[in-house]
Amino acid sequence: MITFDHVTKRYPDGTVALDDFTLDCATGEITVFVGTSGGGKTTALRTINRMVDPTSGRVLIDGQDVRDKSPAELRRGIGYVIQQVGLFPHRTIRDNIATVPYLLGWDKKKARETAMELMARVGLPTSMAKRYPFQLSGGQQQRVGVARALAADPPVMLMDEPFSAVDPVVRAELQQEFLRLQAELHKTIVFVTHDVDEAIRLGDHIAVFRTGGTLVQHATPAELLARPADDFVASFIGRDRGIRLLSFHNADGIELHDAAVVAGSADRSAARAALAGVSGEPWLLVVDDARRPIGWLSQDALDSVPETAELRDAGLLPIGNTFTVGVDPLRSALDSSVLSPSGRAVGVDADGAVLGIATQADLATAIRTVAAGDLHPHPLDRAPDEPAEPAGDA
Amino acid sequence: MSTFLQFFLHWLTSPAQWSGPDGVPARVGEHLYYTLLALAVAIVLALPVGLYTGHTGRGGFLAASIANFARALPTIGLLVIIVQGLGIGLLPPLIVLVALAIPPVLINTYEGIRNVDAELKDAARGVGMTGTEVLFRVELPAAMPLILLGLRTAAIQIVATATVAAYVGLGGLGRFIFDGLSRQDYQALAGGTVFAVLLALAVSLVFMLLRRLLVPRGVRLQEKA
Amino acid sequence: MEWQWLPGHLDDLAAATVQHLQLSLLPVLLGLIISLPLGIVSVRWRWTYPPIFGVANLLYAVPSIALFVFMSQYVTGLSVASAIIPLALFTLSVLVPNVVDGLKQVPDPVRQAATAVGFGTLRRLMQVELPIAVPVIVAGVRVATVASISLGSVAGIMGLGGLGQLFQDGQQRDIPSEVFAGIVLTIVLAFVCDLILVVVQRALTPWTRARKGAAA
Repeated sequence: MITFDHVTKRYPDGTVALDDFTLDCATGEITVFVGTSGGGKTTALRTINRMVDPTSGRVLIDGQDVRDKSPAELRRGIGYVIQQVGLFPHRTIRDNIATVPYLLGWDKKKARETAMELMARVGLPTSMAKRYPFQLSGGQQQRVGVARALAADPPVMLMDEPFSAVDPVVRAELQQEFLRLQAELHKTIVFVTHDVDEAIRLGDHIAVFRTGGTLVQHATPAELLARPADDFVASFIGRDRGIRLLSFHNADGIELHDAAVVAGSADRSAARAALAGVSGEPWLLVVDDARRPIGWLSQDALDSVPETAELRDAGLLPIGNTFTVGVDPLRSALDSSVLSPSGRAVGVDADGAVLGIATQADLATAIRTVAAGDLHPHPLDRAPDEPAEPAGDA
Repeated sequence: MSTFLQFFLHWLTSPAQWSGPDGVPARVGEHLYYTLLALAVAIVLALPVGLYTGHTGRGGFLAASIANFARALPTIGLLVIIVQGLGIGLLPPLIVLVALAIPPVLINTYEGIRNVDAELKDAARGVGMTGTEVLFRVELPAAMPLILLGLRTAAIQIVATATVAAYVGLGGLGRFIFDGLSRQDYQALAGGTVFAVLLALAVSLVFMLLRRLLVPRGVRLQEKA
Repeated sequence: MEWQWLPGHLDDLAAATVQHLQLSLLPVLLGLIISLPLGIVSVRWRWTYPPIFGVANLLYAVPSIALFVFMSQYVTGLSVASAIIPLALFTLSVLVPNVVDGLKQVPDPVRQAATAVGFGTLRRLMQVELPIAVPVIVAGVRVATVASISLGSVAGIMGLGGLGQLFQDGQQRDIPSEVFAGIVLTIVLAFVCDLILVVVQRALTPWTRARKGAAA
């Protein structure tokens, strides 16, 4: 656990970087510091490993004041990843990763083996071990940076905008990998970013800073989206807050109907029969033999289908998106309904077979629970092996 | 030591040193003449080559090799053999001093132009400047600090080495040094040295002024940052 | 030019060359040993840079002849030391700026990262900053070496040994071929040493791509 105890940082020219900052960062969790520039998030991060010393207040790691140890000793027990990576150009990738083990006096062989393991862990081919940093791309360099921070297995990791210097595609990959690693390693991580979407995506808890070094809100991503502390936080979070909040709710509670789902091999009369069973249902979902969705058929289009033709050969409208029940959040269900010509969401199982259709009314019911503040936590983009939360009830 | 200083001050202040063709002013004048002449020739030869190779990026290796070669040339040896070939005159020391001055001017000019931010050159081309315009309006002003440094280095080296002109019978402050050497008149030797250093310092000051005049304000401010 | 002088004096040429190597390479080594701490101090305590730089510059404005004479007259007499010490002082004007530049161009993120992973100040200097500065420093050593070999010939005309003796002798006895031999040997020596240094630098720093040399 990392504790900030009334930490203030004031510079000689009067700038206040941190103003009476008090916070606890839970062990084994990712705490993200976000905010506007000059808000003190990087300063706060750097007080943890004493790259910055507070003017007043204390910083504690597991109850021990960081000033108790010498700075170098303290830092060897903390992983540090920065935006520009800062790999040592004169050392091979393997030696870069093994930096802290070497510093700690580990057996050289053991240090090298650990480095190779870590390379694999962060998703780098071990053939790169003897290469030099300048031969790697930006994304690869940052993976090395993360591996270097992990080498001595420190309990605490500090990350200062580590993924900001790469393009969005690489950034998304790195974020994904990072979450996967954390699911295995459960480090106590403090992560600084100016990108609130990244914060929402990665953080277990988020601390929002305002210019002047003040902490404005400390909450989980869902709470932050649902109940921003003030106008500043709300505007910082940005637009479509409600829709983004839907990513944090599961879609399991949505009622699904399968009456309007018809096999592609059926003909027009079978379709009519199906429709008769459901009142006021102008759309049919046509599926294949494995019950995977092929396309939508409107009631009006049904009339122009030849009597004996199979439905699957009729002019069907494309599906758009589906959402996987038990895996995807409510936001995906909404997305599916927006993209489908029928305005209905298609719920499928893990194999892609249709489980049912959700109408706008069904979606509205589910959304209403969100508005009511009834939070059904959905593990957003967590590692695939993590179990989904049990389905809540609308 | 103190007796040496006494004698030196005596030498310094006696009126004989300050008048006539053997006096300090005359020798300083000759020395300055050799310096300026050699510097001018070196600039005429090396500056265009530096500008061209820096701007086009071609011939960098050749420029570096020429500079290396010129730097390796032993001044005295070169001087002696040229005199043996061409006879005594202004030309031998001039050739030697020019050879000495070319490396700093050439390399610094080449490096200066070469190191101008590639994005800057790109932007200049983008707004429609021709190659020559890019060179003279963008690259040269940006490279000015480094080019002036090269000129200054060359000038100071020339001032220090122009003393060898006296080795082959010419004038300049080297006269005090070599005559002093042969006559065992170490005050004169010290005098010649002191004035050579003073001249070098004066040259430094002149270049500081030139910096103020020739380096655009924007470039100067950027350097400070 | 007549060449008869040469064949009979090959031993002398060899001896002069070896002696010249001594009296021009030792100063570079000495200069490096002095300029490394000076450069490190200049970078660590910025305010020391102007005076240190000023003195180094001043040294090289001094006519070399004068310094050789001064040393041989008043300090170390007619020994090799009278050539070595002035030459070492001259190399400072190249080496100190190069050590400073070399250390300054260590990228800031690298320095920060080194501190943050737990390098102490001295260890960081020795294991990170200096190794990264090597290419720039070696570029300076190359210039200093070539200049020292060239300047060392001035020592020769003071009777301090080396290839300069050939120039003095060749001038006094009017033997152009001797002077010519001296010039050629000086140049060849300079080029060979430069080449060796390039190879050494490449061997020391396998991590560099092709780099430009330091400005004069």
